[in-house]
Amino acid sequence: MDAQNTDAALPATGRADEPAPLRAWHRLVETFAAVGTVLIGVLMLIICADILARNIWGASLPLVSEGGALLVVTLVALQLGATVRAGRLARTEVFILPFTERHPRAGAALEGLFDLTGAVVLGMIAWASLRVIEKDLNAAEFIGITGIATLPTWPFRALILAGFAVAAVEFAVRLIGAFRSMGGRA
Amino acid sequence: QETINLTVASSHPTVVPWVGMIQTHFMAKTDEILAETGTYKIDWNEAFGGQLYKANATLSSVEEGVTDVGWVFSFLEQAKLPLSQGSSNAPFATSNPPVLLDVMEDLLETNEAFREEWESHNLKVLGLTATDLYDFYLKEPIEGISDLDGRKISAPGVLGNWLRGTGANAVDGSLTSYYTDVQTGVSDGVLSLALGALPIKLYEVAPYIARFDGGAVFSGAVAINRDSWDALPEEVQNAMVEAGKYYTESHGQDLVDRHEMALNKMVELGAEIIEMPDGETEKWVGMLPDVAGDWAAPLEERGIPAKAFLADYMEGLRAAGETPARDWDK
Amino acid sequence: MSPFEIGGGAVMLLVALILIGMPIGIGMLAVSVGAVALLRNETVAIRMMTQVANDSLEEYLFAVVPLFVLMGLLVTVSGVGKDTFDVFQKLLKRVTAGLGVATVFANAVFAAITGISIASATVFSRIAVPEMRRHGYTNRFATGVVAGSSVLGMLIPPSLLMIVYAVLAEQSVGRMFLAGVGPGLVLALAFTLTIWILATTRKSFVFERTDDATGYDDIRGRDVLRKSIPILALVTVVLGGLYGGFLNPTEAGAAGAFGALVIALMRRSLDRVTFWRILVETGLITVSVLFLILAATFFSRMLALTGVPRELAEFFLSDRIGPYGFLCVFILLIIALGCLIDSISIMLIVLPIALPVADAAGFDLIWFGVITVIATEIGLLTPPFGLSVYTIKSAMDDPTLRVGEIFRGAVPFILAMLATLAVIILFPSIATWLARI
Ligand code: NA
Ligand code: NA
Repeated sequence: MDAQNTDAALPATGRADEPAPLRAWHRLVETFAAVGTVLIGVLMLIICADILARNIWGASLPLVSEGGALLVVTLVALQLGATVRAGRLARTEVFILPFTERHPRAGAALEGLFDLTGAVVLGMIAWASLRVIEKDLNAAEFIGITGIATLPTWPFRALILAGFAVAAVEFAVRLIGAFRSMGGRA
Repeated sequence: QETINLTVASSHPTVVPWVGMIQTHFMAKTDEILAETGTYKIDWNEAFGGQLYKANATLSSVEEGVTDVGWVFSFLEQAKLPLSQGSSNAPFATSNPPVLLDVMEDLLETNEAFREEWESHNLKVLGLTATDLYDFYLKEPIEGISDLDGRKISAPGVLGNWLRGTGANAVDGSLTSYYTDVQTGVSDGVLSLALGALPIKLYEVAPYIARFDGGAVFSGAVAINRDSWDALPEEVQNAMVEAGKYYTESHGQDLVDRHEMALNKMVELGAEIIEMPDGETEKWVGMLPDVAGDWAAPLEERGIPAKAFLADYMEGLRAAGETPARDWDK
Repeated sequence: MSPFEIGGGAVMLLVALILIGMPIGIGMLAVSVGAVALLRNETVAIRMMTQVANDSLEEYLFAVVPLFVLMGLLVTVSGVGKDTFDVFQKLLKRVTAGLGVATVFANAVFAAITGISIASATVFSRIAVPEMRRHGYTNRFATGVVAGSSVLGMLIPPSLLMIVYAVLAEQSVGRMFLAGVGPGLVLALAFTLTIWILATTRKSFVFERTDDATGYDDIRGRDVLRKSIPILALVTVVLGGLYGGFLNPTEAGAAGAFGALVIALMRRSLDRVTFWRILVETGLITVSVLFLILAATFFSRMLALTGVPRELAEFFLSDRIGPYGFLCVFILLIIALGCLIDSISIMLIVLPIALPVADAAGFDLIWFGVITVIATEIGLLTPPFGLSVYTIKSAMDDPTLRVGEIFRGAVPFILAMLATLAVIILFPSIATWLARI
């Protein structure tokens, strides 16, 4: 985690000088992140509601623990793209920063390699998650207890897939940026 | 001699008896049989105790080939293994784990839907597992099943059904949560197995054991990934089938021995067993709504022959000399 | 290639990729998927990675991560940290280097309501450093004290590092938290001792002026009480709930975050923009931590397939090196990594390999966890990458303050941490006594 301080500014929303498709893309990434952000609040509220229900009515609410667990995966996937965009995935900077300063093109190429790896790996996860959704749909996979309260899992799986896909594309977008800066400084 | 590399894994550690017996019985027996001719030798790469996957992925991990051999915990696969939930939705049909396992072994051969439910997941079943018997672990003693009225009782997912009609409130939980659930007042007691209750020291917070010896339940299978299976020489396949049968049988007997042992140990450690009066189990079973019917109906709607499976299961038990406390199929 | 060679190669490749700056989580996923493809085949490798991505974070316990982070950020904006410092300043103003000691104590108390060290570093660099400067302390010492005592944030419960360790080592989070209390207090005392030694033997390190006549912001006894209430209330909710047996760790996180929200709202320190910004920041920190956990899960599962941990255990526990030789190598490795990488990444890289060895050596895994956490936290203070130091630099917003100056100021506190580490290795009960009750 490399949160420098709590006032860290938000990544700026699509800048005016960006081409329209790129701006639209950034808007999408941020929408995903915003949904994930809201889920953090939801998580806090359902858990607090569960504590209250237990202490007042003596019964815990159904689906809280299983649903909470599923929400954690979902919110991480949804916010992954924005985290990539903000450059907040943990990494070592002791080599790459001074190296890029001295050799801008080689540095950009290296960054491009990292972005490519990210795009491929996360893309594979997103692609292979299609099968997970398909299996969940076929088996009518659910959480909870039949007869008390249940929730199908596929909508969560779909959000998770979408999150990883968005993060993969975000890496690809950065890769294009890395190419540009290699060419631009030539 | 040809060496074959196989990974064997589980979500649970080897201290769980039927996981440990994969090592001591299934693997050991396979090795022993293969040693007779000495043509093949298996080099087992052991990854027990969740090194490769957790309890929420026991089925898919064997299916996807993350491990070659693994224990599939059918309790946590309600959607993907629907018929395998049959025994837990027909409570108190038998209190005899070895017989239950025998009947399930037969069903795997004779009931096509049941076999298909497992084999459609790209695996071959080698051995079967069951639970020991269920009792109530309580903070305050009871004299009979009707005393549970109004109490909050922790039970694992599906078994919440066993409390319907008793007036007790089911609280969803698992072996890892029971202790704190009772301690913190989330529940007043737990419907649990002696084998599960002993290692988590449940008796410390819930020292009164209302002994019902409630029915044994089918819990899963030791299975091998289908692709790994197809790649094995016939001699190894035969050895594994035989070792699997041996495993199932030894495990059944082990459940009987250990249930008693675990109860005695807990008494030694300060728990108190309350024997239930005669006919109390029947009284409990009589309170239950048609749990089996409620389970079967939605499955039938989806075209899964749950009623036929249930009938085969109950008939199998009766044919083996068991007297189910309630004829769920009638 | 044998499985062992594949595993060994994967570890070395990963280290190289991390050093040249590949995002650690991405590196772990890429290297592991490649290794599993070699061990098995591509289909299994991709499916295994996908399974990890979908299932490994599906755990109620992991909800504590966003919740404790949210709580930490909320108490940071609501001024609870400043109040704590004010109280200790009032109590300790007559003591030698009293403001330094007050910073340590205030950090120790503030640590009981925040699970992340950056929260402590941010808060106290803005409150304690200006106050110490006003009273003639050197920049070097003032920032050094704040950097040093910020590590208490992750040793005294709640603590994100302890949660991560508990998950990896399959220990109870509640017990890991308890195990941090004793060592946290010992470390606070070691820091206090360090300050007194410096103030008496190396006056120029501590003070620019010794004729301090500047007045203190005097707060009255009634204010001491008023300022103590919010933090005491939060400690009661979180730790009281956890150990009183009312809440599990996830619920303690939720209740704490909610409590912190109420306090922030009551103090009107939270407008809509700030609240949203805090939620977004919570999300970014959460993702960077949990994505690492996800990747490390796949990395350790890949290693389990190769048998590397087992072979390492055999090597380290042979007669030539022995358990305590292993412990020394382990601590040195962590401290070395701490110069380059952040705390959570270190634990996620090293523990999948080291835990099986520690377990085989028969170490108490709770004690081992405390040692791991302290050794890891030394990295917060060591150059070139020292997160606490950079946090202070960016929170201070003072162009004349040099990063090197803060690193130098933190050196005595690194020594105090090493001494504390030695004490805990020699007397394990400091860590285990409370946790094993
Ligand atoms: Na803390
Ligand atoms: Na460092």
